Amino acid sequence: MQFNSNDSGSSLQSEINITPLVDVVLVLLIIFMVVVPLLMEGYDVDIPRASADTSTRDAGSQLILSIGSAACPILSPLAEEGIPKDCQVILADQKIPAAELPLRVAEILGGRPAEQRVLFLAVDDRVNYEGVLRIIDLAKSRVEDLKIEFIATN
Amino acid sequence: MRLGEPGKMQATINITPLVDVVLVLLIIFMVMAPDVNVPNTAKPNAQGDERGRILVSIDEAGGLWINDRSVAPEHFSEALNAAVGVEKDPRVVIRGDAKLNFLQVREVMVAIEQAGFHGVGLIAKRAGAEGK
Repeated sequence: MQFNSNDSGSSLQSEINITPLVDVVLVLLIIFMVVVPLLMEGYDVDIPRASADTSTRDAGSQLILSIGSAACPILSPLAEEGIPKDCQVILADQKIPAAELPLRVAEILGGRPAEQRVLFLAVDDRVNYEGVLRIIDLAKSRVEDLKIEFIATN
Repeated sequence: MRLGEPGKMQATINITPLVDVVLVLLIIFMVMAPDVNVPNTAKPNAQGDERGRILVSIDEAGGLWINDRSVAPEHFSEALNAAVGVEKDPRVVIRGDAKLNFLQVREVMVAIEQAGFHGVGLIAKRAGAEGK
């Protein structure tokens, strides 16, 4: 057997052709770079100015949702989807189960013009972050264009 | 002109270094991003594709990242202002880990507010969806 290929016209190609591999990797890289920023989903919330004077607002029409660590004990990371059944929140000074939240928020804010659909949120510092987002998700689920604004708890 | 016969000219481009570079880039992209397990919820809203977006990540241990670069808490405000830099109308989004408690997120929100932003996006992922 002869391995000297230098002298023959149709020499055997012994290397793997990696050009298609490079093409695929480059395309994957581009897809990753483009798609990753696009995929984000979440919730828009407002943080009040620390120095702002909020007392000038019409306090009567403000809808405040309080999530306390005693009534809604989501203190450790949640194992399953949704929020625990025993979680209660305080909406407009009334203690209600979190499951009723979509309906109650829709009742109160659904009839208001879009710019007045604001839900103020007072959250206990110890509540798990994922739990907070799930409660925001519940509150927003039946009302379109609902604005969420955090207020200081203390 | 005649090309020399014994030492054959190599007519193809040597792409091995290119492959190396691309693979390293790919690995850097995968490694650089902080490991954040985003909370999952039922119906998060799309956050749009805003190139002028500043991504603040908070990992499980409470470590802060701005645009995938680790930042010490005491330098957070400066780093945030530096990230805002030339952007005309930036938007800040917080990508917090599901295991955090609200205090850790609120402190970051306060710092963001002090930097002059009054709204943020809180990143979540749709329950049941794949990936982070």
